[in-house]
Amino acid sequence: MIQRMTPTAVILGAVAILSAVVFVVIIWPNTTVDMTPSEIFRERTAEEAAGRKLYIANGCVYCHSQSIRAFDWGHGATRIAQAGDYVQDEPILLGSARTGVDLSQEGGEHPDDWHMAHFINPRWTRPNSIMPPFEHLGMENLRLLTRYIQSLGMQAADKRMQRQAFWKQASTKAYEAGIEANVRWLSETVPQGWRDIPTPYAASDYSLARGRMIYQGFCIGCHGPVGDGMGDAQPHIYPPPLNFTILKGRGISGGLIYYQVMNGITGTAMPYFKKELESQKIWDVGNFIAAYFIDELDANGPPRGIDAAYEP
Amino acid sequence: MADHAAHALEPNPTARAFCLTSAFWFAVATTAGLWAAGYLIAPDFMANIAYLQFGRLRPIHVNLVLFGFVTPGLLAAAFYYVPRLTRTELFSQRLGVLTAWLWNLTVTVGIVSLSLGFSQGREYAELVWPVDMLVVLVFALVGVNLIMTVHRRREPVLYVSIWYVFAAVVLTALTYALGNVIWRPDTGALLGIPDAILLWFYGHNIFGLLLTPLSLGVAYYVIPIVTRNPLYSHTLSLLGFWSLLVVYTHIGTHHLLQVPVPTWLKVVAIVDSIAMVIPVMAFLINIWYTARGKLGEIHADIAGKFIFTGTIWYFFVSIQGSVMALPQVQRITHFNNWTVGHAHIGVLGFAGMIALGGMYFILPKLSGKPLYSRFLADLQYWLVLIGITGFLVILTTVGLIQGNAWFNGETVYRVLPEIHLYYVLRLSAGLAILSGAYIGLYNMVRTLFFNPGVQA
Ligand code: HEC
Ligand code: HEC
Ligand code: HEM
Ligand code: HEM
Repeated sequence: MIQRMTPTAVILGAVAILSAVVFVVIIWPNTTVDMTPSEIFRERTAEEAAGRKLYIANGCVYCHSQSIRAFDWGHGATRIAQAGDYVQDEPILLGSARTGVDLSQEGGEHPDDWHMAHFINPRWTRPNSIMPPFEHLGMENLRLLTRYIQSLGMQAADKRMQRQAFWKQASTKAYEAGIEANVRWLSETVPQGWRDIPTPYAASDYSLARGRMIYQGFCIGCHGPVGDGMGDAQPHIYPPPLNFTILKGRGISGGLIYYQVMNGITGTAMPYFKKELESQKIWDVGNFIAAYFIDELDANGPPRGIDAAYEP
Repeated sequence: MADHAAHALEPNPTARAFCLTSAFWFAVATTAGLWAAGYLIAPDFMANIAYLQFGRLRPIHVNLVLFGFVTPGLLAAAFYYVPRLTRTELFSQRLGVLTAWLWNLTVTVGIVSLSLGFSQGREYAELVWPVDMLVVLVFALVGVNLIMTVHRRREPVLYVSIWYVFAAVVLTALTYALGNVIWRPDTGALLGIPDAILLWFYGHNIFGLLLTPLSLGVAYYVIPIVTRNPLYSHTLSLLGFWSLLVVYTHIGTHHLLQVPVPTWLKVVAIVDSIAMVIPVMAFLINIWYTARGKLGEIHADIAGKFIFTGTIWYFFVSIQGSVMALPQVQRITHFNNWTVGHAHIGVLGFAGMIALGGMYFILPKLSGKPLYSRFLADLQYWLVLIGITGFLVILTTVGLIQGNAWFNGETVYRVLPEIHLYYVLRLSAGLAILSGAYIGLYNMVRTLFFNPGVQA
């Protein structure tokens, strides 16, 4: 039997096996895969395509997947990937690692200014990030990259981008109308019920200590180390990050802060944090802002319900 | 094998050139890996260097370990043992040396182009078309040289190692061309989901049809010599060889279990991933039984030590791989550092260890003198072994942290501070591997060029 393993037998046998397998696992699926565009599909614009080239050239694909699974919770977990989402992708950029987040539905999650600041240095908007800074690409390339990122999710992204544009206009107008008007506008966007709620938990030392940790891990790059809105990202963000110190005496409740942190302020760079921070963490960071920056605490004030069981 | 030292000089400039190629790129590749690992700890340190940022360094690292370190190292041994096993000379040493130079040119052009941002963005198939052509060319040249050598053989029976080399070189030339879609030079890709299927068919073949058969070839050659035992079973070698070709080629889609590819293809991939037990165990039983009762000899021989250790890693990486192909397991292990751990024990623990062993086996023969330093070779062995074990433990742990946290609803961002420490530990383990690579380079260069040892 060993004698029959002549060079010809080995090589032809190997090539024959390979050919058979290629037929079964490559050619057959290639001819049968459904290439119908999915319901959110649209073509990429020239700028978006140029941005995609940058995405490939700079190895974003090694840290970012573009495919949501049925059991995902994170970014974009509202839409499970379908084959029809990828019918214009050559190459397809599914990715094999999530050192960073999934980007398949990234379009419209943030306004453009957030992305520009984030690309220049990710730590500015995301203090704990380990993504590389891409300032060296130059502003024009970062703009193209942003166009591509904002197109991820195709028609679903376009819808989110319209929403961003609408609220960008409104928030800019409010900001430009002066401090008073801006704070009023910000407050009025919050449903009345939330505005009436004081922080239900005491601003204990522990709560404040945890709040500081969260502030440093999530907020400091924009709102700054002293809460005056002068974080590193500030020059690139418009309307600029809020200066918390101006809020004193302007009727800001713990509930309002909670609501803003939970939902974010679409149109501004202020992100929503409800996927990242659970309830208690949001109250804690709210306490921290109120105690240290606004210097005005309503924690545990009236109207208060029944004390929480764990309170001292 | 105590008489290892007393080997007559067997000049083989081709094998020598491939040894040096491998040792050199091993050092460069681990430097790149270490640097990349550093970026995951301190992204703002040495930042904004376009050519070196993580997204460019990572493919450089991976392409270097595959095509700079492991493959040439394994080929060096093949260029030595194919003529020996066929009792003839290498068909053409000049062609062989030329191939080695071209090989280095290809690797250099490859990493320079990657660092300049010329990439096709497909993992393991990043290299742009002109470099792809060079890769196919060098594989073809290697193939011609070895096939012609065998053609002029004076030994009628082909030993199993030669089957594996033939399969590796010929099939890789083919799957490389296919997987890199060389008929579409612009993108080097297909459109949509078929592109992913093709990419991972090819990507897995780099491990399954290149690294694995070349490594098995070296092990099949060296272990019987070191233990002075005949090969345990020729039937098992036949079974292992043909089942490897049949089964390994089917399993690429296990990289795509969580994306919308046809379900039947996933089923094929999962079933065959489990069936991988057949070729893996056929080989391991064969080799381990060959070595039975001779662990002392293996321990005494540096080449045997590296290669036997490599077979143990092969066992681990394959069992782990079969488990990772189960959808239920992959929910946790996919997308995170668990897979990176698997990749390192496969490519370094298994294929890399065997490549190093193969080189240590032939070096004394190429120079006609004993190794420059057995101590340094042992040191390298331990550094690499400690490093890779550290990698496995650390990366598996951090993979479990990531995977379980995500599964539990935590965001990627929330988990980053949790895994920071593990990235630091990984870097530390990497230092061991890096030192091992440089020590090996030094030892090999000294053995070949500045060897004070007495020629036998
Ligand atoms: C070292 C891995 C790494 C690389 C390379 C990388 N990123 Fe990231 N990226 C991350 C991490 C980690 C995060 C999550 C933290 C954050 O938001 O910065 C992230 C977040 C992002 C986000 C924000 C997601 C959100 O809404 O919170 C975008 C957009 C993004 N990356 C785009 C890119 C682009 C475009 C590239 C290539 C030019 C790139 N990334 C390269 C790791 C990486
Ligand atoms: C990427 C920058 C950025 C980050 C990060 C950020 N913010 Fe903001 N924040 C803003 C901007 C911009 C505004 C709105 C400014 C405006 O419209 O005038 C804002 C507004 C707010 C408001 C609204 C106050 C009001 O009166 O309605 C609160 C509260 C707030 N941020 C808290 C936080 C907290 C807490 C964090 C961290 C968990 C955080 N922000 C992180 C940019 C940021
Ligand atoms: C100094 C030692 C090394 C260090 C610090 C190191 C580090 C790294 C890093 C940081 C990555 C990227 C992982 C990620 O994206 O999260 C990587 C990937 C990889 N490395 Fe290494 N590496 C080292 C040595 C090696 C060696 C010697 C080999 C093989 C012989 C190797 C093979 C690979 C492979 C195959 C990948 C791709 C993994 C994947 O895609 O899942 N590495 N390495
Ligand atoms: C029985 C054998 C094996 C099986 C069943 C197997 C299975 C797998 C699976 C399922 C994955 C995908 C993990 C994921 O993305 O979730 C994977 C990845 C990988 N395997 Fe294996 N494996 C085997 C052997 C090997 C060997 C021997 C090597 C190296 C020589 C290797 C190298 C790799 C590498 C480098 C990756 C990472 C690919 C990437 O970049 O994502 N594997 N393997």
